[in-house]
Amino acid sequence: MQQLASQNAPSPGVVVPHFIFGAVVWLCVTILIISFPGAFVQHYFNPRLLSITHLLALGWITMIIFGALYQLVPVILEIKLFSEKLSVTSFVSLAIGCILISVSFWKFQFSGMMHAGATFAVIAVSLFAVNIFATARNSAKKTIERKFILTSVVWLVFTVSAGMTLAINLSSPFLEVSHLELLKLHAHAGIVGWFMQLIIGVSSKLIPMFIVSHHLNENKLRISYYLINIGLLSFIISLFLEYTPGVLFGVILVVAGISFFLSFVYEAYKKRVKRNLDLGMKQSMIAFLMLLIPVLLSLVFVSELWDTGKLTIPLAVAYGSTIFIGFITSLIMGQTYKTLPFIIWLKVYRGKVGKGKLPFPKDLYSEKLADFQLWTFIPGFATLIVGIILLNKIIVTISGILLLISVSIYFFNLMKIILHKPITLHE
Amino acid sequence: MNKILTPKEEELLKALKDVIDPELMVNIVDLGLVYDLTIDEEKKTVNIDLTLTSPGCPLGDMITEDTRQMTDSVLPGYEIDIKLVWNPPWSFEMMTEDGRNALYRR
Repeated sequence: MQQLASQNAPSPGVVVPHFIFGAVVWLCVTILIISFPGAFVQHYFNPRLLSITHLLALGWITMIIFGALYQLVPVILEIKLFSEKLSVTSFVSLAIGCILISVSFWKFQFSGMMHAGATFAVIAVSLFAVNIFATARNSAKKTIERKFILTSVVWLVFTVSAGMTLAINLSSPFLEVSHLELLKLHAHAGIVGWFMQLIIGVSSKLIPMFIVSHHLNENKLRISYYLINIGLLSFIISLFLEYTPGVLFGVILVVAGISFFLSFVYEAYKKRVKRNLDLGMKQSMIAFLMLLIPVLLSLVFVSELWDTGKLTIPLAVAYGSTIFIGFITSLIMGQTYKTLPFIIWLKVYRGKVGKGKLPFPKDLYSEKLADFQLWTFIPGFATLIVGIILLNKIIVTISGILLLISVSIYFFNLMKIILHKPITLHE
Repeated sequence: MNKILTPKEEELLKALKDVIDPELMVNIVDLGLVYDLTIDEEKKTVNIDLTLTSPGCPLGDMITEDTRQMTDSVLPGYEIDIKLVWNPPWSFEMMTEDGRNALYRR
C-alpha cells in the first residue's frame, strides 16, 4: 500500500532551523535596505547590493528551499528522505558559506574569506544534491515534477560552481570574458535553472493539491521543461561566447517556457474546487502575478524594441529586485503558512489524533497578523520598485520600513508556530 | 457510495460527518472520501475504504486516525479496519451537493 506522506516526513529538527535562519536573514536584509538605500539606486555591481543579493539568494531563499524540500520531496516522491545527517551538515555549511560570502562582498574583498565562503557553499550544495538524488533514486515516481526538481538541483550545482569560479577570477583573473557577462551567466543559471525550475516542480504538485484542481493539462509542464532548459543552455553558452542572437533566442525560449507554466497555474486556478483562497495561497498567487514583471523586462532588455536609455540600470536593479524580493519572497512567505504549521502540528500531535478535539494546523498562527503581513508586503514591494526607478533613496527607505514591518510579523508568526505547545480544545 | 446501508451503517456514516479534512474544512463524507463502509454485526468488525483528495496529501494520518476514533466511539468493541485506497482516484464529481456548496462558500 502506498505510504502516507506524513509517515515519510523527516524530523522537524531537520527542517525548522532552515526556516529560522532564513527568516532572520530576510529580517536583516530589510534593516540593510533601510540603513543603506543607496545600494538600490546605483549600478547593480556595487558591494552592498551584491552582498544583499547573496544574503537573499543563499541565506533566505536557498536556505528555506532546502528546508522545505526535505519536507516536500517525501510528499512529492512518496518516499523517505535519504539522510537527515547530510541535511544537517549541509545546513551548517550553507549558513557559514552565506555569511562569509556576504561579508566579503560588503568589504569588496575577493581573496581568503570569499574563497572559504564559496567552498562552504559548494560543500552545502553538493551534500544537498547527493541527498536529493539518492532519495529520488529510491522512488518509483517518474513524474514531470521529479524531472523539474532534479534538473533544478543540477543547475544549482552549476550556479555555485560558476560563482566560485567568478570569485577566483575576481582575485586572480584568468577568464577573458567580461565580468558583467559572467555575472549575468551566474545569476541566470541560479534564477532560471535553480529557483524557477524548482518552483515549477514543487508548485505544479502543491498548488493543485492545496486548491483541489483535477484534470489539468500536464503537457504544458512538459513543454515548459524543454523550452526552459534548451533556452537557458542557449542563453548561457551564447553569453559566454558573446553571441547576441543566441542570447535573444535563449530568452525567448525561457519566456515561452515560463508562460506555459503560468498557463498551467491559471488553469489550476480556474478549475479549483476550493473557491476562496486562504492567505498562504493568496500570497502565492500574487507572487505569480509579480513574475510577469521580470518576464516582460527580460524581453525589453534583449529585444531592444524600446531604448531604455538612462533607465537601463534602474530597470536592471528593478528586474533583480522583482525576482528576489517580489516573486520568490512572496511565494516563500505564502507557502510557509501552507507547510510549516503542518510540520509542527505533526510533531506536537502525533499519537494524539483522535483522542480529543485538536486544533487544526492553521490554528497554530494568527491569520489576522498574517493578513496584515501581506498588506504591508505589497506596498513595501511596490514602493521599492518605484524608489529604484526614480533613483530616490527616501522612497527606498520607506519601502524598507514597510518590508521590515511585514517580515517582523512573518517572524512572529513563524516563532508562534515553532514554539506551539500542545492544547486540547473542548467542544 | 452506491449501496444500500443498514441503519447502523447509516448511523456511522452520519457520525463520520464530524471528521473534517483540515485543508478544505469540509467533512470527509461530503467530500466523497468514504468509498465503502461495511459493518459485520456477527463478527463485530467494521471495514472502511477511505481515499484522500491527493495521494500525497500530508494530512492523511490525521484523517484516518480521526475516522478510527469516531468509529470506535460509535461502535465500541468492534474491530476496525480502515483501508486507504487510490482507485478510482478521487475527483470533484465524488462530492455531495452539500460538500460542493461548503467548498464554494469557503
